[in-house]
Amino acid sequence: MTRADMRRLLIDWLDDKYHFGDAEAKIGDDEASFLDRGVLDSLGFVALVVYLEDKFRIKIELKLLNRENFDSVNKILDYVTAHGGGNA
Amino acid sequence: MSFTGVEFAVFFPTVFLLYWVGPRRGASGRNWQNAILLLASVAFYATWSPRLLVVLTAAVATSFAAGVWLDARPTEGMDEAQAAIMRKKRKAIAVIAVIMQLGFLGLFKYAGFFSQSLNALLDAAGISDAMPVLRLALPLGISYTTLIQVGYLLEVYWERSPACRDPLAYSAFVAFFPQLIAGPIVRTRAMLPQYYERRALRTDDVAEGAASFLLGFAMKALVADWLSPNLVAPAFSNPGAYSAGALWIALAAYATQLFCDFAGYSLMAIGTGRLFGLTLPENFRYPFLSKSLPEFWRRWHISLNTWLFDYIFAPLTTGRSRFRGRVGAGFVVVFLASGLWHGPTWTFVLWGLSHGIAMAVHHAYDEWYKRRCRKDRRWVEARRSKPYGAAAWVLTQAFFLLTLVPFRSPGLRAAADFAAGLLGLGGGSGRVGHFGFMALFCAAFMVVFHSLQVGRGPALMERFRALPTPIRGVSYGLAMVFLLVFVPLGASTFIYAQF
Repeated sequence: MTRADMRRLLIDWLDDKYHFGDAEAKIGDDEASFLDRGVLDSLGFVALVVYLEDKFRIKIELKLLNRENFDSVNKILDYVTAHGGGNA
Repeated sequence: MSFTGVEFAVFFPTVFLLYWVGPRRGASGRNWQNAILLLASVAFYATWSPRLLVVLTAAVATSFAAGVWLDARPTEGMDEAQAAIMRKKRKAIAVIAVIMQLGFLGLFKYAGFFSQSLNALLDAAGISDAMPVLRLALPLGISYTTLIQVGYLLEVYWERSPACRDPLAYSAFVAFFPQLIAGPIVRTRAMLPQYYERRALRTDDVAEGAASFLLGFAMKALVADWLSPNLVAPAFSNPGAYSAGALWIALAAYATQLFCDFAGYSLMAIGTGRLFGLTLPENFRYPFLSKSLPEFWRRWHISLNTWLFDYIFAPLTTGRSRFRGRVGAGFVVVFLASGLWHGPTWTFVLWGLSHGIAMAVHHAYDEWYKRRCRKDRRWVEARRSKPYGAAAWVLTQAFFLLTLVPFRSPGLRAAADFAAGLLGLGGGSGRVGHFGFMALFCAAFMVVFHSLQVGRGPALMERFRALPTPIRGVSYGLAMVFLLVFVPLGASTFIYAQF
């Protein structure tokens, strides 16, 4: 799976769960903070972690389980790629 | 000694002068600013309870030692068998260290509650006085220092943060006197590095710190301390004597009192921190603007709720936990913990349980609503409409108000009486005794305070902050004169200090 495919899945998930078609506009920039732009609140972060683990078959260790590690599109994709996600 | 007392008016300037005029680093490289803060914190604590300093010292010493041990043993570079043994050892030490911290809290805060509850249960089974009931004095701020230290231990154990190897910096970080009584609950990564640096006196820190302290003082001394004896306490001590309308006014007054007392304390602590060049975390963000319970809890007592979220809720509902993905159950667990943290009584259990269940119900509703949104975009627009927002605001605030009934009542029976009175079933007809200028002032304060966050409010605040320093200085000076004239020093203690 390419990075662009993973990005598409992530945007689809955000649209499906929270933004109903507005996710792309809400994010604006792949470097922008989800928390600052209101893309995901703290509960959304928990749902995101569960989604990433299930969808990309990765395990997010407790020591990495904090919002800063998953606070933008790029941070999420970097994490998933670095942990072998999206290879299935 | 309290922030609002005469002693503090002498204590603070003395510490402030020593801190900024004295040496900042000794020849050994030791940060003397931390030493002064620690000495001041010990003195501050000693004015409340010198004996209990021993408890705080023991807690800080054990968490410091455990942190250093955990940090000195990373598993990187070991073969798998060695690493597995080391992981087990680290886990055991981390568990013991956390249990020790919770043990201090449990012994002083909960032992009496659990033995009393067990006795009541056994009494019902015909066995009387089976357990001795411990009644120990609660060490000042133990609920806050425990969470600070447990958070630190978990951060080091999870290798999110290096351990602190400077006992002076660590002790000052845990026991810094402004945060000691009622928070904010400081976090390792944001706060500890500030104690490693030499702080410099900056005009911005002084201006912002003084403004924050003044605003907090006004909230506490002008609003909270007037509401408590005049509108709140009489109604809660004898709800049966009052009409439903009077009880609703008393309940709204209690919400205002609690906010101004606790947010006021937090602002004073944050302001004092800034005056020492330290940035404590924000604890309240205009909670009465919230249009949903999750939003409310992101705005009220932020430092406790983010702590509970990061160290209980997130690990509980992710990973391999049996609660994985079960957000509703996670809420009930977390809010029960929050209720018990506030105090070892059934009223706090009921309060926590109510919020946990309400959060779970809100989550289920939210999921249902989103399913509608996926099918038809008009549901999205409906949610953004003003009537929807207004209804959501009323429901959220009404629910929070109602849960303050058990929060404030001395027992479940009293809470039931108050709730019956709200529904007009109490039989009382008494009116609110002091519904005059000051009551209107308190209400107006709340409206203006929250209005500054909506519409053109933030822009106005920015314009004020951009005013030349002398003009802002004069306005702060006038505010101080106003407070000195109208507010007697020695206001009552803070509500959250008792937790």
